[in-house]
Amino acid sequence: MSSIIKNEKTINHKNKRILIVDDEPDIALAFKIGLEDNGFIVDVFNDAQVALINFRKGKYDLLLLDIKMPKLNGMEFFLKMKEIDDKVKVCFITASETYFYENLIKKIFNLLSTRSLFRKPIKLKELISALNKEFNC
Amino acid sequence: MTSYPNNHKQRTEVLYGAQNVLTKLSKFFLESKIINVCGTDKALLLAFEMQDYKNLLKILKEKNAKIKYLTNITKDNLPLCKKILNHVDEMRHLDGILTNFSVSESEYLATSSLLNMQQPQPINQLICSNVDEIVEQQKSVFESLWNNSASAEQRIKELEDFYNIGRTEIIYNPSITKEILINLIKRSKSEVLLLLPTINAFLREYRIGVLNYLKDAAETRNLNVKILTPTNDEINTIIQKIQSNDLKNFIIYPFEVASQIKINTITIIIVDEKDSLVIEKTDDSKENFEDAIGLSIFSSSKPTVMSYVSIFESLINQINLYEQLKVQGKMQEEFINIASHELRTPIQAIIAYSDLIDNHPDEKGEMIDAIKRNATALQRLAEDILVVTKIESKTLVLHKEKTNLNELIIETIDDYKNNIQQNHNHDIKFKLQYLHANKKSYIVDADYQRILQVISNLLDNAFKFTKDLKENGEIYITIEEKKQETGQQYIIVNIRDNGKGIDSDIMPRLFTKFATKSNKGTGLGLYICKSIIEAHDGKIWAENNKEGKGATFSFSLPFLN
Repeated sequence: MSSIIKNEKTINHKNKRILIVDDEPDIALAFKIGLEDNGFIVDVFNDAQVALINFRKGKYDLLLLDIKMPKLNGMEFFLKMKEIDDKVKVCFITASETYFYENLIKKIFNLLSTRSLFRKPIKLKELISALNKEFNC
Repeated sequence: MTSYPNNHKQRTEVLYGAQNVLTKLSKFFLESKIINVCGTDKALLLAFEMQDYKNLLKILKEKNAKIKYLTNITKDNLPLCKKILNHVDEMRHLDGILTNFSVSESEYLATSSLLNMQQPQPINQLICSNVDEIVEQQKSVFESLWNNSASAEQRIKELEDFYNIGRTEIIYNPSITKEILINLIKRSKSEVLLLLPTINAFLREYRIGVLNYLKDAAETRNLNVKILTPTNDEINTIIQKIQSNDLKNFIIYPFEVASQIKINTITIIIVDEKDSLVIEKTDDSKENFEDAIGLSIFSSSKPTVMSYVSIFESLINQINLYEQLKVQGKMQEEFINIASHELRTPIQAIIAYSDLIDNHPDEKGEMIDAIKRNATALQRLAEDILVVTKIESKTLVLHKEKTNLNELIIETIDDYKNNIQQNHNHDIKFKLQYLHANKKSYIVDADYQRILQVISNLLDNAFKFTKDLKENGEIYITIEEKKQETGQQYIIVNIRDNGKGIDSDIMPRLFTKFATKSNKGTGLGLYICKSIIEAHDGKIWAENNKEGKGATFSFSLPFLN
C-alpha cells in the first residue's frame, strides 16, 4: 500500500508545500505525518485565526482546510485568505454532512479552479492520491 | 288646584319641587301596604342612577309592601328590568306604556315630568290624590292594564333569544360591504380575527387602511388582533413595518402553501365573537377593494359567528403545529449533522494512525495513545446517543442506592484529573478544587454511576470553557444543604468556573437537546444531565456568575436524613 503512495510521490510532486488547517490536533498531525511520508512539506495550524495571521502569499502550493472549526470556519478562512493569495490551490475536508454546506460550497467553488471536497473519514492513501490529482490539474 | 273633597282629609293636589316630591314619594312607599307601579324606562333609570331614588328602592326592600311593577321591557332597558326584578314581587310587560303612576290601597300618584326627560333628573312635579273615587278608578285602570300584560320572565327570555339569534344578511353592493367592514373594525371592542386568502387580498386591505387601523387599535385601546395571511417578501416587509413595536396583542400568522391551508377565495372577519363578515373574492387581480369582491355575508347569529371563530382557531393551531414540525425537522437535521461530525472525527483519527503506525515504530506509543483517546471519545458519544434514546423511549433504568455525595464528588474529581492528563497529550494546567471535602456525609438515594456521569459532564463543560485560560482556569465545586418550605431537605452541588460564561441566546434552551455553542460536542451532555437529575427528583440550573467571569452550574438532590 505504502509503496504505491511512495511511487506517486516520487514521480509527481516532491517538495510541494501544503498547509493543513484543522482544529482536531490528532487528525491534523496524522495527515501531516502521512503527507510528509509522501514527500510533501507540511505546516499545520489547529486555529484558523492563527493560521490566517501567519499566512503569506506564495508560501504554499495547496491548502487543506477543515470546514467546521470554532472562531473561524474553513469557508471564512478561505474567503479571507483569497485576498492575500488567489493562486493557491484549495481543498476542503469535512466530517459534517456536506448538504449542510452545499450552498456555501457552490458559492465558493465558483471562485475556485478546484472542485475538491473530501469527506472524513478518508484513508491516507486516498487523500494522497486525491491531492496528487489536484497537482496534475 | 284642590278638588272638592268628600271629607276634609281627602284631596287631590299637585306638588312642585324636587324635594317636596321626594318627601312625598318616601312617605308613600313607607306607608303603603300594596304598591302598584306603572312606569316607563325613564322611571327605571331614575331608580338606579340617582342616589335619592336609590334610597327609595332601599325603603321598598326593607318594607314589606307588596309591589307589582308594570313596564315596557325592550332590548335597550333589558339590563335595568332584570335588576328591578329583584326589588319587586311581581313584574309584567306591556308594549308601549308611556305613563308613570303608582296606586296604593289609599293613594294615587302620577307625574308627567318624566315624559320629556333626557338625562336622569329628579321629578319636580307630582299629582297626588287620596280621594277614594280617584284611587279606586286608578286601581281598576292598573288592574286592566295588568291583566292585558305579559309575563316579564317570558318577555326577557324572548328578547335574549332574539338577541342571540341575531341576523344574517347578504350584501350585494361592494361599497356597502367595504363600509360594513370598516364600521365593524371601528366598533370592535375586544377582538378582531381576520383571515386574508391571498397576497393581493392582504395588499388591498392594507391599502384601504384596515391593517394600520387594527395596529393602532391594538396599541391605543388594547384590541386583540389576530391576522392569518399568506406571505411573500413584499408582505413580510409590510408585516415587519407594522409589527415593529412587538405588540403582544397584534399577531400576524403567516401561512405557507405547504401548511395545506386552502382557503383562498374568501376573506373572513370576526369581531368580538359577535359579528362576522365573509367576503367573496371574484377577481383577485384587481387592485381596488370594491372591484375585486363579489357578494358578502354579514352575520350576528351566534352559531354562525362561533363556527367561524372555531375555524379560525383551528387554522391557527394548524399553523403552529406546522411551525413546530418545521423546527423539529430542523433540529433533527442539525442533530444528524452534529452527530455525524462527532462520529466521523474520532474514526478519521483512528483510521489515519492505523495506516501510519507500521511505518513509524519510534512514534508507536504516541500513536496508540491517539487511537485510544479517539476510541474513548467514540465510545462516549455512542453512550450518549444510547442514553438519549433510552430517555426518549422512557426505558432509562436507575439503580438507586444510598450514596454519599461527598465521596462521589472526590472520586469523580480524581478520575477526571487522571483522564484529562491522559487524554490531552500536552500539559494541562488548571485549578480544579472541591471546597467542601470534609468528613460530613451527604447521603442521597441515587444511581452512583449516573450521578458520576452528571458531575463529569458538568466538569467537561467547565473545562471546555476555561481551557483557553490555561493555568488561570479555575473550577470550584461546593456542596450545601437547603431546606425547602415543604420541609424537604436538599443537597445542592455547585460547579463554578471562571470561563467565558453562558451565551445569552443559548441560555433559554441550555438544557434542551442539540443545544451547543462550543462547535464541539453533540449538544447532548446537558440534556442527559437534566434527565438524570430529574429522574432523581432533583433540579438542575445554571447562571452566569454575578461577580466575576464564568458560570455556575448547580443541581439539587433530595437529602436522605
